[in-house]
Amino acid sequence: MTGRALLLAICVVSAVSAGAGEPVYVGAEVCGECHDSPQRDQLDRWYLSPHARAYAALALPEAAEIARISGIEENPFSSPICLGCHATASDVEAWQFDSTFHIEDGVQCERCHGPGSEYMAAEIMFDSEAAQLAGLRKPDRRACMVCHKEKGSHTAVVEVTPFNYDEALKKIAHPGFGGELREVTVRLETADDDPHVVGVMVCASCHRGESKGYVASKWRLTRHAEAYAVLGTDAARTMAFVEGVEGDPRQSDACLQCHATETGISRTRGIQCESCHGPGSKHAAQAAAGEPVAAHAVGLFPPTRATCERCHVPGIHGADFDFNSYLPQVDHSRADMTMAQAAAIEYKTPFNLTVSADGRRLFVACEASDSLMVVDTPTRTVVADIPVGNLPHGVCLSPDGKRAYVSNRGDDTVSVIDLSAMAAVDTIRVGDEPHGVVTDLAGRTLYVANAGSADVSVVDLEQRREVKRLSAGRGAWGVSRSPDGGEIYVTNNLSHFVPFRTPSRSEVTVVGTERSMISDRVMIPEANLLQGVDVAPGGEFALVTLVRTKNLVPMTRVLQGWVMTNGIGVLWRDGRFDQLLLDEPDNYFADPTDVAITPDGRLAFVTGGGVDEVAVVDLQRMRAVLESASEEDRRDLLPNHLGVTTEFVERRIPVGRNPRGLAVSPDGLFVYVAEALADAVAVIDVESRVKVATIDLGGPEEITLTRKGESIFHSAEVTYGRQFSCHSCHPDGGIDNITYDIEPDGIGFNPVDNRTLRGILDTAPFKWTGKNKTISRQCGPRLAVFFTRIDPFTLDQVVALESYIRTIPRNPNRYRVGDQLTPSQRRGKALFERTVTNSGAEIPVEGRCNSCHPAPYFTNRELATVGTASELDTHDVFDVPHLNNIYESAPYLHDGRADTLEEIWTRFNPNDEHGVTNDMTKDQLNDLIEYLKTL
Amino acid sequence: MILSSTSRRCNSLRELRFGASLACFAAVLLTVGSAASAADEAAGPVGEPYVYTHWETFYASEGGLPNDHIFAITADGDRLWVGTEDGLALYENQTWRSWREKDGLPWRVVSAIAVSEKTGDVWVGLFGGGLARFSGGRFDNFNQFNSGLVNDVVYGVAVLDDTVWVATTAGLSALDTVTGEWEIYTEKNAPMEEIWCYNVDAGDGKVYAAVWGGGILEWDVKTRRWNAHRDPDREMEIDLFRDDGLIHIITTAVSYVDRVLWAATYFGLSRYDGRHWRGYMDHDSGLASNFINFTKGRSATSSYNATDRGLAVLSDFSTDTWVSYRRDTEDAATWTAHISVGNEERRAMSTDLSLPNHFVIAVEIQGNDVWIGTGHGLARGVGAGFFEGLSTPHVEVAKEAGQ
Repeated sequence: MTGRALLLAICVVSAVSAGAGEPVYVGAEVCGECHDSPQRDQLDRWYLSPHARAYAALALPEAAEIARISGIEENPFSSPICLGCHATASDVEAWQFDSTFHIEDGVQCERCHGPGSEYMAAEIMFDSEAAQLAGLRKPDRRACMVCHKEKGSHTAVVEVTPFNYDEALKKIAHPGFGGELREVTVRLETADDDPHVVGVMVCASCHRGESKGYVASKWRLTRHAEAYAVLGTDAARTMAFVEGVEGDPRQSDACLQCHATETGISRTRGIQCESCHGPGSKHAAQAAAGEPVAAHAVGLFPPTRATCERCHVPGIHGADFDFNSYLPQVDHSRADMTMAQAAAIEYKTPFNLTVSADGRRLFVACEASDSLMVVDTPTRTVVADIPVGNLPHGVCLSPDGKRAYVSNRGDDTVSVIDLSAMAAVDTIRVGDEPHGVVTDLAGRTLYVANAGSADVSVVDLEQRREVKRLSAGRGAWGVSRSPDGGEIYVTNNLSHFVPFRTPSRSEVTVVGTERSMISDRVMIPEANLLQGVDVAPGGEFALVTLVRTKNLVPMTRVLQGWVMTNGIGVLWRDGRFDQLLLDEPDNYFADPTDVAITPDGRLAFVTGGGVDEVAVVDLQRMRAVLESASEEDRRDLLPNHLGVTTEFVERRIPVGRNPRGLAVSPDGLFVYVAEALADAVAVIDVESRVKVATIDLGGPEEITLTRKGESIFHSAEVTYGRQFSCHSCHPDGGIDNITYDIEPDGIGFNPVDNRTLRGILDTAPFKWTGKNKTISRQCGPRLAVFFTRIDPFTLDQVVALESYIRTIPRNPNRYRVGDQLTPSQRRGKALFERTVTNSGAEIPVEGRCNSCHPAPYFTNRELATVGTASELDTHDVFDVPHLNNIYESAPYLHDGRADTLEEIWTRFNPNDEHGVTNDMTKDQLNDLIEYLKTL
Repeated sequence: MILSSTSRRCNSLRELRFGASLACFAAVLLTVGSAASAADEAAGPVGEPYVYTHWETFYASEGGLPNDHIFAITADGDRLWVGTEDGLALYENQTWRSWREKDGLPWRVVSAIAVSEKTGDVWVGLFGGGLARFSGGRFDNFNQFNSGLVNDVVYGVAVLDDTVWVATTAGLSALDTVTGEWEIYTEKNAPMEEIWCYNVDAGDGKVYAAVWGGGILEWDVKTRRWNAHRDPDREMEIDLFRDDGLIHIITTAVSYVDRVLWAATYFGLSRYDGRHWRGYMDHDSGLASNFINFTKGRSATSSYNATDRGLAVLSDFSTDTWVSYRRDTEDAATWTAHISVGNEERRAMSTDLSLPNHFVIAVEIQGNDVWIGTGHGLARGVGAGFFEGLSTPHVEVAKEAGQ
């Protein structure tokens, strides 16, 4: 079969496998069928380029470090963010690859030129216009800069030469010189009994990943892999000429015997595994089955020095060969623990805790160590550390004390712990970002507040599965059960959507346990960040923690709580609601996080996460303050009154770093407080109101730079009066759903929606104006001028803070399961990538979604005008936001005016300036939204 | 009248059965004295259907309902939700509560109501305002601008497990309340000859959409396949072959109960048991009119039909016994109940229903009671002593025993 006929055959096969007209990726070797000849040696030129090694580079320790500091918790080989620039077609479904495509080829031809199945036929390729109509792309600077724009994560770890597009273009230039296509050398069919070479890609299908020491990738980074491709260089031609080889070294058997393992197009891969380990047709299957003895029996060789010296003859090409020094470079006999080692420093970061009915055991959910720690309270020592899911947050016990339930906000599950075995025995899928958990009185039903999906999972504990989902407020957070068991109170961290320049409105959701249905929703005006909740023993009221963010006025002053005040809410049984502050003038109580009421109903303890204190509230005096006030004062005055706090707050007890959850012992003698950034639990004596002990949870002694930054992030020390911390506006590193008026760009002008900090490192510039090129500039001296109002962070603090912020992880996208898209999502992807309208008119490049929002971050990191400026904006150019997990950061647009993704285009794109969308039908827009949610 | 009916020639199987049952029970009947209670009046002689003789009426002027123009009525246990042209109302413990736009209702015109059995959420179709979820006193609005709802002109709503189905003027929308995903069904991905979806109902893993001009579309949730039911003879003016399929493609409502689908059209009523169709028109049945706005199945053998000329109740499918409630004249003080077998009237009974207009738009069954909504008020038929089907001696004995 001639080469051209073979190529046509490949085309036919590809067309059949792709479906009519649907382009698929065919792989670099298929391109090389034509583009690997003296006139067209693009394949070899590419193979020698860093592009071709891009995927393999993810096996390097530097890659693990880059991922770690970017908040990417997955292995780089699994991360869409890493693969988005280090591979080709990482964001497509499996059916969009041909069997000839290998992701191991990194950034190959089709990354720049588009999937090749429809244009690769020679007769099409000879016609440039026809090829482009069939999908061939001619990339421009924009396409390159998607990946080559400077990334903070990379410059922090490796020495990166500033990218010069024009110079880089010269380096990768691969012009052809026309002429006839070469004849393709086809591997002769061998009889089944004869061992033959199968190629490195067969080996690589198993020999990848951490347990296999990233063998395939490590091989690719060696000179062995490029042994054939170098034969196409001028240096090789010169060397060959000197040694008496006539013609192209790539055609010379004398060269090929040491520079290639196999014939055919795959010889491009140079010296592959089988050059050292023997032809793999026999032993590959045995090895794949994990049977090394059998594999050896059928030809798997353990290479020796002699194997190497077959080609590495001393003096060959004028070079000496030192076996002992070269062996470590190619040794791949052990597992590679680089990535595991990258995460060696593991803190505990206790978040929430609960006490057993007999008071003898304390159960602590530790977010950083992904574990539930068990403490023996009499001895105040840790007795167990039970692995659970990712980012555990809340914990509760079954009424019989036999099981614990832990919410894992990082993988949307609840772990079921058998407390006799001290092990997790089951995992229950719940909603997105589960937080608080509590059972009903009978222990038959579990209620889980899902912050991400704004609902409450109702779990049947006998069946161990979710049976229904109840709509909550936004950011469902904490839960508490009424003493009679009739109700579950759920706090919601984010305000409901409100019209611009109107006060926040947050909800306490009340679930009736009899039928597990919503029985009430109490709207709390002018408050947000409702988190902790506890119900008084008599059931007459519930307390919630809250913040009153003053976003309706410009952030020009911090006196008198004009940025935010912090307090508690009192939800009375009859439906009334009061708000009281825990702040004092110039001594605020930043980040009230949790509240617990003593069994006798006398006191309430409230953690102040930003001030490292626990406030003690005398409930009787609190009631007296409320009852002595008029209805008008209770409604309008007391919620903003900084002067009455000391009338009911007895004292503030200093505790360790960043107190979060707390629990009162059943006998009412002690309060246990999770000191999140101290890896400890404080023990407060209720009677004396003093911290009497610290239970060490055994975290590392070393405080890393990132950990320091985490402390700074959660501390209100840097703000005037300790009014708020970074965490206050960015709980869990996310958003507070508030639109602010910040001073630097004019008072009353340019309102801006708060943006997430999750996974942002490589999405610079920052701010909606794009003025801040780095996180450190964002958090630097200007922050003090416009936010915190006292001394700015020191340089060391900024470095530490940036070190932490960039590691804040993004949760796994809940709408995308593996590489599979639903039919709606698939249609939406096509719309996202479309180049023509419904009527066939070409969409200008700047009007295409993926021009400004290319993968993997779905931002080109440029500024753009999209027609969204309002009359309050002094400019109409905005930083293109990234779209990763965009579903969790509503509202949208720079000023937050779009409550939902739909509204971006149904209401706020009348002139097709924010993408050409007005020709879309409603179902098309629907599909586009479904796809956007998968990013 | 009844005795005279048994002496006539029985030309149809239905009449034969009816006459036989009468003959068997005639002696029993003769031994029973006539009672003066409403229940006795409602029951009538043995072999006759239950008749609602006592009604309560509700008007906005009385301070309960927000508006007299009734579009939707939905029972939720002991609670009754009513959708009007200007607000949503709830009747519970004999007390009315209502919500208008000033109370948070996103749009004044409430065209449809469905209650989720699972969560208790009340899903409200808004005619021009999309869809609202009413839960714990909070309204959430889903419209074509802020969500995947295909169109804001909503005609019907139904809930099946975790999915809310919405019939709109531009197709069908489905919201998965767990994942938040919207699906849209139009002529592009469903066998919709028209996209004007007038009503939707669901049950047993199936969703039924009444498409005005498009027949009934049946969606199988498990297989994700559509099945279209249309009038096979495709005649718009007449029903060429009775019982060959759906009686007409201009369908206005569907009601699925006990594995039977009741379908209302502007040209008659259809019943489908999964295998056999049965069609009814006013000239050959007790239907007060072919122009049916809404249908509600009480069971596989009984349905209540809101027509432009009153409420037509098919009380017993097997005997084709009907009770139609209407004003006999424009100035009649009250409505009259007409009992018929097929289109042959057996007798008429007076009722105390005094709604001024018998253009019935909505109907709902709540236990033994029936509710009807018109353009001029709402009424409840009090079902004291209600029985299904036809009165039997057991019923008579029970009445005697005061049960």
